Amino acid sequence: MFIEDVLAGAVRYGSSVIFATQGELISERAGVINLGIEGSMLCGALAAFATASATGSAVAGIFAGLAAGGVLAAIHAFLVIWRGANQLAAGLAISFLGLGLTAALGVSFVSKQITGLGAIEIPLLSDIPILGKVLFTQDALTYLALILPFIVLFALSRTKWGLILRATGERPEVVRAYGYDPKHVRAAAVILGGALAGLGGAQLVLAYTLNWVENVTVGRGFVAVALVIFGAWRPLGAAAGALVFGAALSLQLQLQARGVDVSIWLLQMAPYVLTLLVLVFTSRRQSKQIPEDLKAVFGGT
Amino acid sequence: MTATTPTAQPPAILERLSAQRDWLGPLVAVLVILSALPFLGIDVPEVLVRCCPLLLTALAVTIPARTGLVNVGGEGQFALGAVGAAAFATALTPETPGLVGIVVIAIGGTLFGALWAGVAALLKVTAGVNETISTLLLNYVATLILAYSVTGPLKDPEAANFPIGAPIPDATRLPEINGVHMGVVVALILAAAAAWLLGRTRWGFKARVAGGNPRAALRNGLPVGILIVGALLLGGALAGLAGALEVMGPDGRLRQGLGVGFGFLGFLASWLAMHRPGWTVAAVVLIASISVGGDSLQLDLGLPATSVYVVTATVLLVVLGWRGTRSGARS
Repeated sequence: MFIEDVLAGAVRYGSSVIFATQGELISERAGVINLGIEGSMLCGALAAFATASATGSAVAGIFAGLAAGGVLAAIHAFLVIWRGANQLAAGLAISFLGLGLTAALGVSFVSKQITGLGAIEIPLLSDIPILGKVLFTQDALTYLALILPFIVLFALSRTKWGLILRATGERPEVVRAYGYDPKHVRAAAVILGGALAGLGGAQLVLAYTLNWVENVTVGRGFVAVALVIFGAWRPLGAAAGALVFGAALSLQLQLQARGVDVSIWLLQMAPYVLTLLVLVFTSRRQSKQIPEDLKAVFGGT
Repeated sequence: MTATTPTAQPPAILERLSAQRDWLGPLVAVLVILSALPFLGIDVPEVLVRCCPLLLTALAVTIPARTGLVNVGGEGQFALGAVGAAAFATALTPETPGLVGIVVIAIGGTLFGALWAGVAALLKVTAGVNETISTLLLNYVATLILAYSVTGPLKDPEAANFPIGAPIPDATRLPEINGVHMGVVVALILAAAAAWLLGRTRWGFKARVAGGNPRAALRNGLPVGILIVGALLLGGALAGLAGALEVMGPDGRLRQGLGVGFGFLGFLASWLAMHRPGWTVAAVVLIASISVGGDSLQLDLGLPATSVYVVTATVLLVVLGWRGTRSGARS
């Protein structure tokens, strides 16, 4: 069924972007914009794929993806927080580094096969028409992606650590007065964010592509940065944006599979054009929600 | 710039020397790199040819950067420029004089590149969309437009299933000397023009003020929006021209994957040089050398072309980290 396939795809293709949006959001709420998230996703994807290919265990791949994404983000954290590097330039350079590293190291994995994460059908719930296939016949990481925004929302708004993290993004001097080092809080947020993006990359290869190609993410990390703005720096809003992106991707693939007479190259533009359109309609309004301390970096005029 | 009182005015000769200092350092650096290349087994003409697109895509970052904009769209503006060049080339006949053809193709590239940057400028000025994000996303769209063009409207009818455009007329291929085409000279002249524009004109001054403190600029009646649009259009035009020169130079036709990475390498070069045109030339020569040297290494080791990012991005990261605390700039 067309609608069912498109919606199931939206969830499956969108979930890697959900991870990336939540990671970027955590980083930005602490006051650091990380454009290196694309690189973290790529490194996470390759680490996950390589590990799964070597050990035969997709679960080991998940942890490798987390670690690789976090390590790359740690470089960003160090340069930006302790060395005062420009956040946008450092992030982009890190994304290029990730792209180059994974392209070079990934060569030997190009034609390898892995057994990815299988779909887990949730008993009873998966029998619900449409919704059952869309939400309850997915892989383990996709389930996690669907729960994660709620966890992030709870952690940010209801826990002490969330309060400290948000305060670091708004008024770092208050955090210092409170007895915490804003630098440490920021570093933790950036690294955690990168690890989540790495997890997104892992989901991408372990549950969707099941093979490795150079630049497998094709801009999903950058899309995530855009979707954080769309979601006004709120976890659920950003995740909703990721699902819309996934839907555009899924619709495009379903149309291709059904042999619609439109160039595949034009169809592939849809998710990016949609993301841009979404920004057009929301940028002005959302700019009021930007974390106070990010304004200097990302404010615009 | 610093001397405001008549007594502090340095003698004219000193002033002229200090103006040349902006170029002396980069010149020495360029000569050092170029003279080292033969010892590393890197082909100098090939490096010079690579400098042409990279210098233009670097300037495409430098000019908007003066107004405080981060243009990461060189990759897309280059691709669209190449598409525009190929599209305009189809209007030419074999009888068109070479120079006319070259100008027509160059205009096509410049126009399309500016158009693509114009999209980002429009989104920024009208809807407040951050240009870093929009130019990044537009890159992916532009790459797909290029892929669509060479498989659809601009596909070479002679080439069975290859994603390539029709070859441009022979007369419009850029003249070469020892394998170095004329585009390199064009790029150098444009770099000098950009330095003049940014450092010596009223426009350059206004752009810098708008970039330094947009709010103050607005309050003083500077048309910040127009300056932003102008700077981005100019940047896009240069990157687009790079695409056109690449079509007329080494390639002679549009093809899928033309100039992949040139936009990003130009971005790295401009940041490496802290957006100073003179040093941008030096940074471009360095990155072009790494890129050309990397090509042969990649062929030997079977590595993909993108591997060159590892070296260039690392260089920039080290420089950003080393310089960051000195300038104290966080943004």
